[in-house]
Amino acid sequence: MMSHAECSPPRHTSTPIQVAFEVAPTVPFVTMGDTFNLPLRPHLEKGDHHDTLPAEISQINQQWGSFRDVNEEVLLAKMAEEDAAGGAVESIEEEDENEMTTTERLEELYKKRAEMLQFAMTAHTEATMALDFVSLLLSKWAPRQAESCMSPYLKHAVPLGSIDVDIVNPPPLLDSVAQNSKAVSSGWRLYNFNFASKKLLSAAGRLENEVDIEARYWDSVLEIKEQGWKICRHPREGQTLAVQYGFLEATPVFRNRGLATLRRAHDGTLNLYKGLVPPGSPFVRVSVLRCSTVTGSTTPPASLSDTAKTIHQQILHARDSVFEDELFYELLREAKSMMDCGVTTRHNSIQIPVTDDVEILLELVDAEESLRDEPENAQLDTQLAEGVAYSMRILLSFAHRLNHRRRIRPPAPLASEKPRTPEYHLFRPSLAYLQHVSQARCVESFIHGITGVMRSSGFQLPEYTTEILASLKINQNLPPMTELSALESLMINFLEPIESVFKVNLLTPNSSFTIKMRTNVLEPPYGTHFNVTYDLPAIPDLRSPGNLEMRHEVEAAVTHALLLDIVTKVSSSNKKSSNNMKQWEAIYPHIGELRLPLDYDTYKKMQISLSRDNLTISTNLIHSPGGRGFGEAFQRKKTVESKTWTLRSSDNPNEHSSALDFVAAETA
Amino acid sequence: MHELLLFASVPVHQHAELLQQLAGLTGMQPRHCFERRLIFKAYRKPGQPNARVGASQDLQKGDLQRVNKMLNGGMFYTQLVGSVQSAHFGAAAADAVAGGAPAAPPADPDTNMDGMDEANPPLPRKSYDFDQQRWSLEFRDIPEAGTRSGVTARVMATAALPAVDVVQLMNAWGYSFVTEYIVEGDMFVQNDTAIYLHRVLHYPTTGDQEIRSPRRQLPNLDQMAPLEKTGSYVLQASITVQDSTNQDAMKTASQHLFALREQLRSAVKLEPADRLALDTRVK
Repeated sequence: MMSHAECSPPRHTSTPIQVAFEVAPTVPFVTMGDTFNLPLRPHLEKGDHHDTLPAEISQINQQWGSFRDVNEEVLLAKMAEEDAAGGAVESIEEEDENEMTTTERLEELYKKRAEMLQFAMTAHTEATMALDFVSLLLSKWAPRQAESCMSPYLKHAVPLGSIDVDIVNPPPLLDSVAQNSKAVSSGWRLYNFNFASKKLLSAAGRLENEVDIEARYWDSVLEIKEQGWKICRHPREGQTLAVQYGFLEATPVFRNRGLATLRRAHDGTLNLYKGLVPPGSPFVRVSVLRCSTVTGSTTPPASLSDTAKTIHQQILHARDSVFEDELFYELLREAKSMMDCGVTTRHNSIQIPVTDDVEILLELVDAEESLRDEPENAQLDTQLAEGVAYSMRILLSFAHRLNHRRRIRPPAPLASEKPRTPEYHLFRPSLAYLQHVSQARCVESFIHGITGVMRSSGFQLPEYTTEILASLKINQNLPPMTELSALESLMINFLEPIESVFKVNLLTPNSSFTIKMRTNVLEPPYGTHFNVTYDLPAIPDLRSPGNLEMRHEVEAAVTHALLLDIVTKVSSSNKKSSNNMKQWEAIYPHIGELRLPLDYDTYKKMQISLSRDNLTISTNLIHSPGGRGFGEAFQRKKTVESKTWTLRSSDNPNEHSSALDFVAAETA
Repeated sequence: MHELLLFASVPVHQHAELLQQLAGLTGMQPRHCFERRLIFKAYRKPGQPNARVGASQDLQKGDLQRVNKMLNGGMFYTQLVGSVQSAHFGAAAADAVAGGAPAAPPADPDTNMDGMDEANPPLPRKSYDFDQQRWSLEFRDIPEAGTRSGVTARVMATAALPAVDVVQLMNAWGYSFVTEYIVEGDMFVQNDTAIYLHRVLHYPTTGDQEIRSPRRQLPNLDQMAPLEKTGSYVLQASITVQDSTNQDAMKTASQHLFALREQLRSAVKLEPADRLALDTRVK
């Protein structure tokens, strides 16, 4: 037994064959031969045969232990060791090769082989004997198992269970030995106690650490909850908490994005895990374009910058990102429904024509890259862009509110066709407002211009009244609605058709005309519609133009009314002033023509023409032999004298200071 | 129209908890509502022809024909449902507030354009005016027999009534007033499913005299006694289907109900009701 133990390699206690395989490359059998070393390497078949991966892994596990302990240093050390051993063997072999000739080597080989076989035989015999001995010893307690590994000879020779072991009184130990073993055992015990206490202490420390980490995590969660966020169990991951920051009434794809998992990092800080969400900070930038040049655009809010540090900021960032994404999605949907109004869409941009030279550009950009050089004098347009941006966001929230209202209503009966969700009104109200205001300003400036011309010409025209955006009742006390909150009624007020009213009082008393402008916000027909009403009692047969679509028609109607007013004024001006019979007679008031008869075949004709920029009055003294009739006599008439009064600048004044003076002079 | 239903009984101690659970499930706050229900019984007027003599051109489509037949056949109880507010309970009738003398018949709020005058917003009125109450007529058939789908399915029809004296109107149609009660409950909506957690309240008994017409005013809410003495509630989940011949819609509706049943399994046990308990036929 002892000899076998000596022969076996010192490091391992596994099966003999495995020992041989394992140790041979590194530990040569130097004890077996003095001059020649032959490694007991197994014959390596270099074929295509490879072990399967699970087999290799289990092999490595058995051979080297768990992978957990393997790291780079261990592997490097192992490699160095192998290199050193392999190199030694090789160098020895090289030396031998040099010394021996072929025959000698062959002889040596045979000799050593025989020697090796002999040793192997001895080892085998001893191992068999040891096995037999142990088997026989065990056969008393486990005869079946022991029998299976007994040699046939032993089985035949000795009956099973015929040997037993027992503890006999050991010889009394020497004091020194007893002392020694006592010291060793107490040493061991001490060592083990130390070891256990260390383990326990480290476990306690780790637990304490864990408690700290958990406390930090729950404090953060509580902090989030106190800030007003909704914390819930994640519906898919049962054991994790999640924070709800999205909008429950949004389109499902964005509603589902409004939930993020609150994961715990190693140090207990909160990690907001949002799932598969495109990175970056989307931002809907609104730009105002004048003549295709950007003259103002919005800047992203601070919460959208990607440098969010605290968890609260991160949640805000996530919420704003999902809101911006949804905003642009809904804007695209609305834009597609408004293609017929000239709205064009690209992958990430929407271009909306507002007026002739103003356009609004909506783009989905990254908040980090969206900073644009501020053009000079862009203050007003930046304000306009910001106004549009705010209104879009408020309207999206309002659409969410309406969705909520729709959702909690008693459901409609289930039908085969699902009701389609209509597009939200996000930029349409702003567009309607801008278009309306632009049209109203144009009309106002036109009225201002043309009444200014009349005033400069000396007509005492009363002031006109303007009520732009008359339909908005922001400051009024809104009635408390049963279902809608005050805020919602305010929003609904903004979504009603926009109206503006212009009322111009005329020279003739009690005469006026009114222009009402109306722009639909929500439903077609889009665009601004006008309604012009005349109130001219002096001309009873005149009918109001009524509904008009185009601005130039409105301007024509206004000019017409003012011209009629001037004609009425001129024809009636002499009635009061003098008692003479001379009086201008409006023969064609609609084209501004008057006539003053002088005698039988002479008369004066006055032509008044009014435009936005000028007022011209021209008189012609016409000699018409045979009377003022038409037909042949008309052919013979001829103009004798012609005079014209035009509104001029102060540098080049007229002979008559005002048009009425001119008329008075002409009448006289 | 068809109505698919599942019911569950909710003991009163579970009520508050279930309200919270349902609020979480549906993502909305409960809508508390009171419904006044008047039960009318059909009777056959003497001398009125029993069945319509119709030719083939008078044939009507499936459900409508059936509903019509049932309403004209005079075999069913039907009910009028009117929504009231909690402030109406215990409030004096509008006539009494006006000062004793019988007031002129109050005008319809729509013709008065109430609420249009922005300068004088209408004050929330506490008094209850029976004549102003809007009613809708609800007809429910006896649930279909032998359905294997695991839900209660029945034909239903609802119609809003004009603002007139409903008792007279119903009398003219051949219905006599039987009794009335109040349903108090909370409404939730989850997609197509209406979830109604409610209980029936009885009016306080006023001695032996028999009530022959609906009450003109409502008693205090605390005088109302629940029909179920323990005060327990009924949870009703219902989906209406427009066209009962559409098998897909019917299947979808029952699947939605089953899904809801699964979701609420840990809280309540939703199941179809006993068919004969929902019998509305006049025996």
